[in-house]
Amino acid sequence: MNAKRLLPWIAGALALVGALVAAAPRQPVRGFDLEAFGLLPVLEGGRVKPIDSLARNSLLLIRGTQSFRFEDPSTGAKRTVGADEWLLDVLFRPELANGQPVFRIDDTEVLGLIGLPQTSNRYFSWNTLAPHLAEIQRQAEIAEPIDAKQRNRFQAAIVNLYDRAWIYYRLQNTLQVAGSPGLLVESASAGAPGASQRHSMLASLAHFRPLPPPEGRGADAWRNVGEALRAAAAGEVDPGLAAWGRLGVSWAAQDPASFGRAAAEIQAIADAQAHRVEAIGQTRHELAFNRAQPFYLGMVIYVLALLVLFGSWLADSRKAAASEGRGWLDVLRPAAYGLLLAGVLVHSLGLLSRMVLQDRPPVTNLYSSAVFVGWGAVLLGAFLERRYRRGFGTAVAAATGFASLLVAHHLTGDGDTMEMMRAVLDSNFWLATHVVTITIGYSGMFLAGAIAIVWVIREHVAPRLDPATTKILSSMVYGVLAFALFFSFLGTVLGGIWADQSWGRFWGWDPKENGALLIVLWCAIILHARWGGYARTRGIMAMAIFGSVITSLSWFGVNMLGVGLHSYGFMDKAFFALAGFCASQMAFIGLAYLPRQFWKPAARRGGEAAQEG
Amino acid sequence: MNHASQKAWEAITSLWLTIACLAVLMVLVVACTLAQVRLGLLGAVNVYMRSWFFWMDLGAFRVPIFPGGALVGLVLLVNLVAAQLRRIELSWKKAGIWTVHVGLVVLFVGEFVTGGWQVDARLAFEEGETVDWIQIDREVELALVDGTDPAFDDVHGVSETALARGGTVPIPGTPLSVRVKQFHRNAQFLRSSPIDPPAGVDRGAGVGVAIRPLAPVTSDDFMDRSAAVVEVLAGGQGLGTWLASNAIEAPQTFEHEGRSWSLALRPRREYLPYSLTLKDFTHDVYPGTRIPKNFSSLVRLENRKTGEDREVLIYMNQPLRYDGKAFFQASFGKDDTLSILQVVENPGWLLPYVSTVLVTLGLLVHFAIVFRRGARRAVPQES
Repeated sequence: MNAKRLLPWIAGALALVGALVAAAPRQPVRGFDLEAFGLLPVLEGGRVKPIDSLARNSLLLIRGTQSFRFEDPSTGAKRTVGADEWLLDVLFRPELANGQPVFRIDDTEVLGLIGLPQTSNRYFSWNTLAPHLAEIQRQAEIAEPIDAKQRNRFQAAIVNLYDRAWIYYRLQNTLQVAGSPGLLVESASAGAPGASQRHSMLASLAHFRPLPPPEGRGADAWRNVGEALRAAAAGEVDPGLAAWGRLGVSWAAQDPASFGRAAAEIQAIADAQAHRVEAIGQTRHELAFNRAQPFYLGMVIYVLALLVLFGSWLADSRKAAASEGRGWLDVLRPAAYGLLLAGVLVHSLGLLSRMVLQDRPPVTNLYSSAVFVGWGAVLLGAFLERRYRRGFGTAVAAATGFASLLVAHHLTGDGDTMEMMRAVLDSNFWLATHVVTITIGYSGMFLAGAIAIVWVIREHVAPRLDPATTKILSSMVYGVLAFALFFSFLGTVLGGIWADQSWGRFWGWDPKENGALLIVLWCAIILHARWGGYARTRGIMAMAIFGSVITSLSWFGVNMLGVGLHSYGFMDKAFFALAGFCASQMAFIGLAYLPRQFWKPAARRGGEAAQEG
Repeated sequence: MNHASQKAWEAITSLWLTIACLAVLMVLVVACTLAQVRLGLLGAVNVYMRSWFFWMDLGAFRVPIFPGGALVGLVLLVNLVAAQLRRIELSWKKAGIWTVHVGLVVLFVGEFVTGGWQVDARLAFEEGETVDWIQIDREVELALVDGTDPAFDDVHGVSETALARGGTVPIPGTPLSVRVKQFHRNAQFLRSSPIDPPAGVDRGAGVGVAIRPLAPVTSDDFMDRSAAVVEVLAGGQGLGTWLASNAIEAPQTFEHEGRSWSLALRPRREYLPYSLTLKDFTHDVYPGTRIPKNFSSLVRLENRKTGEDREVLIYMNQPLRYDGKAFFQASFGKDDTLSILQVVENPGWLLPYVSTVLVTLGLLVHFAIVFRRGARRAVPQES
């Protein structure tokens, strides 16, 4: 008996151990201590980050993945190349990196433009693109002046390819002029002809700034290699130059021992400044966060919880049919709950990490809103499970948690998810109040929709419908909708107050505001219809599912509309995903209105109707 | 109460009406949002929200085919108040509901006040410049400026309403009057041709120009090119006919009885009983990027009447509220030496704040009551 009570804990603990293993520091790759390299602090995109973040975000931006399979020309064996290793090759072994297939091109017209065949292979190397760069640039320059929302598919794709090629080119020319012998030689030949032009080129092309501010300068005064070389020519030599130079030489020569020494040297130079440049101290935390990928882990654990729960229901229906004992049910359901809690823990730690790293409330952009919507829904679902048992809470929590983390995962393609906040949004107070409340409102709406879907499915597949369970589902939906109305309303008016504080008007009928208002109105309609007795269980459930449609449109549709102060940018791939989601919800609404007997053979219908009547 | 009025009262107070209004409002909000792509924000709001009906052209007739936002808001307001009065139940159990609905009434009233009385203006000044007027971009005025005294401009304005009405407008305090021959909110200027005859201008920049009226723009990204053809008169004697437009930047001047005048059509100015001086404008970006980190204007506020003389820092989310107006940091330019403030006057600005507090508290109280009752009733479920 005791073992049974421990079961959720055991399941949860197992999941957490798995997560810890996944998050453990990596072993050296071919003898190279890439962990030490990944930790090196650089400044890019307005903030200090470990170079591992830069590598991952750049590869994500260019290729859409954080690693890739590649056949090593020296050994002939296929292996997985991680982001750090890729970046090192781009920086110091361009001849190798240029042959790696990292540019993803999907658009057939772009492929046609550069004369590439349409095959299943969508990834191309810099060497493949190189002969066509002039044409790519020409086409991109034609498309560039057109407003991003007005561009057609080809124009959007060519500008996108050009931007990615540009980042790649800049990366190659950040630490040394691409194809030159390297930084050590560059430093030594400061007086050589053409040196100052090369310094200027490096200063203007640099994608990131690897040299921490020297003593006596402000904490933001990070320098790129070109600037430091110029200063060195004037007599002020940055010790970081030589260290990065040695790192480059040792990587180019594939010498793990001196690579490790150079990385340690660069780290020591940065650490010496950590007392004044606070952000340097945070890179260790961010590296661990990158490695752990808590939201990915959370997603996996939620799926496990869902699978275990489905197993329990399957066992339940078999048992019910055979009217046997309920052994498996007692084991599997608590285990699913334990897994869910482990998922919540990992998810929460990830959120907390982001908040500490950014020194911001949890929601700062579309990506983090997806992470937070899931978190809110999971927490609410876990609470429902505690209150009502039955497994429904676990099911909807795990499903919405998984779905929203999946959405977040697909929103990472724009690079750094911890980008700096624009001035108008730079207010921790309003981010913490308006943005967080409205996002919790979204969580509530999606959770209510999910519970309603459970009700619909149960209507059709459960072997028998006991009224007590229906009542539980119904009161869950009501409670969650009331919760959602409260937070949506509060979030919406707080947004108005923020707008009044920033732009001098409380309400401007801006699309994002309208979206929030639609959620509030719909919620109010459902609750009034329930209070007035105009909608019964079925109606409320259908309306709750439609609430998910409205919420998703308000959340993402507005960004696709491309007007208003709040637009984050146009996303066409997301459009199809959104349309698909809405269609699926509408299908569930349709299903809600199909009679239960619809699926049963005609012969059995009569009997059941008599039984139920 | 007779049968019919009983029925009407029931309809007005019914929950059905509430739901119907909320649903119609949803339709309007969706339509307004989608229409913004085509009409611009302000245009869409005027068509769908700040209107009593949504009109459609059917042949030669304009027919109201759908209630507008203002009508729905009003019906909802009446419904809300009436329903509360009818189901008057002053019990603590209903305290939350009461508070919520009072808060909603306040919110609705606030939106009506904003729609009716809010004035948006702009104040642009460069570092070191002192300004005592704000500019209302959505309205134009014909300004006649007596610039004889180099130290001092004597400004006389003819409002857009007067221009639109036409006829002869005397300019008080001067010997001059203005006869408005044409006025268009938005127009296109063409070289005159047989199809587009000249507008009859004989002085200034508009000689030989033909005017083709256009519909006013609705998008926020464009401005109207307004045009007024005016004849200036002194003692019944015509001094000439000018074309005044906000598209004409060069000053148009004339002399009369030894005084030199200039004439311009410009956004309406409102003079303030106090002045603002831009002492410093700062604008930072994040290192190595072009992402703006902050903007702020350090402003000196001087009010001779009250003897006030103090410095104010206006920055994002931190407006200056003074004398019924709020000054917000809106934009900047000229290499960070020009700051543009948005100036809003809205007598109802406080109402949404009041409403927020009321509705939030009301919902909290109500749901607390409901769930305590629910928890007490709840039968322990199998575990």
